[in-house]
Amino acid sequence: MTDGMDRRKFLKVLGVTGGGTAALAGCSTDDVAKLIPYMVPVEDQIPGVATYYASTCRGCAAGCGVHVKVREGRAVKLEGNPEAPINRGKLCARSQASLQATYHPDRNRSAMMRQGEGLAPAEWEAALAEVATRLQAAPAGSVWFMHGTQTGSLDALIGEFVTAIGGRRLVFEAFAHEAVRHASRETFGRDEVPLYRFADAQYILSFGADFLETFMSPVEYTRGFADAHGYRDGRMAKYVHIEPRMSGTAMSADEWIAPTPGSEGTLALAMAQVIVERGLGRPPADARSLRAALASFTPDLAAQATDIDAATITRLAQEFAAGPSVALPGGIGTQHADAHRTAAAVNVLNYVAGNIGHTVEYGHGLRQGDGYATLREFTVAAEAGSIQVLLIHDANPVHASPSALNVSGALGHIPFVASFSRFQDETSAWAHVVLPDHDAMEQWNDWQPRAGVQMLLQPAMAPVFDTRQTGDVLLDLSRRMGRTPRQATYKEYVQARWADLQRTLGDRAPFDTFWRNALQRGGVWTEARPATVRLAAGATRVTNPAWAPTEGQLTLIAYPSSTFYDGRDAHVPWLQELPDPVTKMTWGSWVEIHPDTADRFGIMEGDVVQVTSAQGTVAVPAYLYPGLRPDVVAMPLGQGHTAYTRYATGVGVNTWSLLPGEAAVFGGAQHYVSVSLTRTSRHERLAKTEGRNRQLGRGIAQAVTLGGIAHGALDHPFHVAHAAPVPEREEHLLDEVAAAQRRATDYGPYALRNTRWGMTIDLSRCTGCNACVAACSAENNVPYIGAEQVRRGRAMQWIRIERYFEGGEHGEPLETRFVPMLCQHCGNAPCEPVCPVFAAYHTPDGLNGQVYNRCVGTRYCGNNCPYKVRYFNWYDMSEPGAPKFAWPDPMHWMLNPDVTVRSRGVMEKCTFCVQRIRGAQHRAATEGRALVDGEVRTACQQTCPADAITFGNMMDPEAQVTRTAADPRGYRVLEGLNTKPAVTYLMKVRHLEEA
Amino acid sequence: MAKWVRPMAKASGVLMTGALLVVLVGAMQTSQTAPSATMQSFEPFQAPRDVDTTNLRGPRQPILYRHDIHAGQYQMDCRYCHGYVEVSSSPGLPSTAVCMGCHMVVQTQSPEVQKLAEAHNSGTPVEWVEVHELAQFVRFPHQRHVVAGQVACQECHGPVQEMVQVWQFSSLKMGWCLDCHKERGQTTDCTACHY
Repeated sequence: MTDGMDRRKFLKVLGVTGGGTAALAGCSTDDVAKLIPYMVPVEDQIPGVATYYASTCRGCAAGCGVHVKVREGRAVKLEGNPEAPINRGKLCARSQASLQATYHPDRNRSAMMRQGEGLAPAEWEAALAEVATRLQAAPAGSVWFMHGTQTGSLDALIGEFVTAIGGRRLVFEAFAHEAVRHASRETFGRDEVPLYRFADAQYILSFGADFLETFMSPVEYTRGFADAHGYRDGRMAKYVHIEPRMSGTAMSADEWIAPTPGSEGTLALAMAQVIVERGLGRPPADARSLRAALASFTPDLAAQATDIDAATITRLAQEFAAGPSVALPGGIGTQHADAHRTAAAVNVLNYVAGNIGHTVEYGHGLRQGDGYATLREFTVAAEAGSIQVLLIHDANPVHASPSALNVSGALGHIPFVASFSRFQDETSAWAHVVLPDHDAMEQWNDWQPRAGVQMLLQPAMAPVFDTRQTGDVLLDLSRRMGRTPRQATYKEYVQARWADLQRTLGDRAPFDTFWRNALQRGGVWTEARPATVRLAAGATRVTNPAWAPTEGQLTLIAYPSSTFYDGRDAHVPWLQELPDPVTKMTWGSWVEIHPDTADRFGIMEGDVVQVTSAQGTVAVPAYLYPGLRPDVVAMPLGQGHTAYTRYATGVGVNTWSLLPGEAAVFGGAQHYVSVSLTRTSRHERLAKTEGRNRQLGRGIAQAVTLGGIAHGALDHPFHVAHAAPVPEREEHLLDEVAAAQRRATDYGPYALRNTRWGMTIDLSRCTGCNACVAACSAENNVPYIGAEQVRRGRAMQWIRIERYFEGGEHGEPLETRFVPMLCQHCGNAPCEPVCPVFAAYHTPDGLNGQVYNRCVGTRYCGNNCPYKVRYFNWYDMSEPGAPKFAWPDPMHWMLNPDVTVRSRGVMEKCTFCVQRIRGAQHRAATEGRALVDGEVRTACQQTCPADAITFGNMMDPEAQVTRTAADPRGYRVLEGLNTKPAVTYLMKVRHLEEA
Repeated sequence: MAKWVRPMAKASGVLMTGALLVVLVGAMQTSQTAPSATMQSFEPFQAPRDVDTTNLRGPRQPILYRHDIHAGQYQMDCRYCHGYVEVSSSPGLPSTAVCMGCHMVVQTQSPEVQKLAEAHNSGTPVEWVEVHELAQFVRFPHQRHVVAGQVACQECHGPVQEMVQVWQFSSLKMGWCLDCHKERGQTTDCTACHY
């Protein structure tokens, strides 16, 4: 060996010298990593090993059970609690993204008090003293407590508190389903929303209810729907959706029928009339009493009102009466001025078909909020000066109610407002004192989603900021006002109520045992017996609802966003970047216009349009959507915040500003309004993730009909319709290439003797809900990149839901297909051979590995991927201080420590959750056993509310994934490229007779 | 003859439970189990009473914790302090409560122990300097190597039982990992460690 200086040694020396210089320049100990152990070991935490705590999601009122994954004392992921009766281990996109709200950099970090114009951090002691003083000074009856839906202990405590101070409470919920409750009161004498049992139905008919998106309990309903409507052994339920707009829920329908806006109730009555007249179904005895009331609603007359031909109405009635069926009123179908009649008509339809008590159950106590009309009472009282003190918890009525009602003006009349809000939003901006509540991850609490189901919340970690549980604050305020509550802390209050519950349940175990068992399981639940209901007198007074837009104007439907609900989740950046299931839009608002209507106004997609109602006007880009009646336009609610964290403020427009302030007869807000459109000269490039909305013969999302399967459609595999003809002289060349590729795949270094990880996705179950997308982002530290980058086609989500339209032209019915698209982990992957540094390579267990520390960012792999599932880090989203840093303190606390946070210049993609695979392998090896089928579950699979995804080892003939992949419906996307994907899709099945 | 301690797959009673000398004696007894091919054996080690701390290898720690006395001379099981090594990627560092379990009564006059007691009583954690810093982007599951792979601690960490102050024995470079993996016929797949 010579002592000469080769390149390697030169670099080494340079490195040492460089290090020395740095050490001289700064303090050398700064670079030393420190290991800081616990002072006293924590009982249930092992560094490097996750601990799970059972709790309850509080994103909406549904009450899904969660398992909070905690690493080193911080919650890093939510998983569904498999035991929980509502969600059975599944979660929606909003829940999966909710940790970003827990660790939100703009959360209220301490108590605050008004100082001049703004709010300034204050001591809790001072803030509480101020509130107590104000409460004591207020005259009787002048204190109002406004809060969002509450159940269980906090509901009881608020009740006691308000009674003690002689105040009034108001439960504000933007979507309180007033029409459904009003109708149930009229027809059955019950003020509640019934529970719909999809799993038992063979025929599902929705009159506008978006039960897969926001209606009541989306995760539970998605599961029930997928169980009923998913294809299995030649059988599946039929789903017909009736709404002027094809909503995200309607996209899963076998048949979408678009009646004249507001005429859904007439259709329901005509169907009921056919059923009663022809004696179809199994109606209860007293259904005959409806005969006279229904007599005038013949299909022929209804056809005029609804714009649906009489034959279709009769057919629907026959199909509906034939099977176990369920009809749902709700959602946007019940949000116009006369919508209680629609809901009552649907109730009657369910009754005459004999569904009440079977697929439609009353007696579960489902109700949310006091209704919109009470909010009007509040504004009237405030303007009259009769409210001196307002306490407000978990409600943002300034944003989430029609601007015409002017809630902010009303708040200006109230001398003292105290808010428990975790965030500064449009409502808490009016507060004089802010007493921020704990996040759901940080508090003791309970939740009763329905009769018989009691869920518990337990703190999964120490509070992130100096916040306090509102229950504790109320007890503290009570003490300050001279009362002595029985319990010192809210936790004890909850426990006292659970001790009562234990007695009610007849459980004789010591309370400690009962409590610990309940905590471990996430709650206590029993099967509640549904109530028997009879027709009330009001049922015979059914009449057809009416909605008519102003002459010459269009009907605007303002629908709740499945991503933001009423707007409360607009502050979560992952959700802002989550493409809307229908339009694939991110970070903004849009108005959906039918292409024919757009033609009439000369509007192109992206043109900014002035939408003007009697209440206001907004300028918003147009999205051309064939899933609408031409006389209808639609806009989502939830965006257009003026003061709600850095992520929501100034994004999109507030659709509530177009809606009328008057309450409808049934006490709800009206979401139908007449508008006119004016094209402006501005044009925007939409921040949407959609490329083409048509498949162009590529066979990406394949479907068959039930009738087709019966006639042997699955015996003939799909053929690429538009493949270019191959010249004869080249045919043998192609054969040779294909043969060589097969050899390489089957016998070469890729020979897979032990394991090949694979996945199946059942498109007959997938509803396109986006839960997998959010779960993947949370598991794999996927950053958000903002609207500008989305416009450039750089959205980073490792799994996306592609949405394709079929038909919808030349009188053909419009059909939508969803395809969750993720890395296909090809056996013969085009990305691998083009990587110059072997960063993309094939692992022995069949994954397309991506080694971040090898990647030099040529992007060759991304360009060569036919599925477009590789994502490049154009900016440093992981570097604190970088302009596009995606994890501002303390949001980085939620990063999954088992997954590398990628830096700039690196290509990334779906890994089949390799960290979970390796984790399970380590566990199995440590326990001296082999992996079992089902032990490794990917994040998308685990959360999928429809259970559409299976994952496992394709080399194991007994594995569920192997058996599912052998289904005759199975196909692989772009199979003709010989990429040999590991993902098998099972064709969507449409419940139609024709082949 | 007492053999050098090696984590045992099914050892019991060694996770820190707060028991004091009883566990210490127990740990010494578990070290009597049969040796295996990968195990290295050592003569009982007599740690020097006085050492010159000016020229010790390895980074200077806030407290001069003597592995040679604890692990070498007294033959304490590694897992008494690094208790998670069989269940977690991270072997774990002892909390000061574990240290104080013995040092409430043992060597209370030692100035180094007094530093420890001071930290413990004041609620200030000891900030140990990391000796074995793994490269970024790589994952090393201790539990799999120690339990399934039957790799003795010393094979990577060197004769810690003789170190007055711990220094980095192995390079921890990828080639060093792969040498061992190849020698033992273990995976050399990138995503085994890089993900």
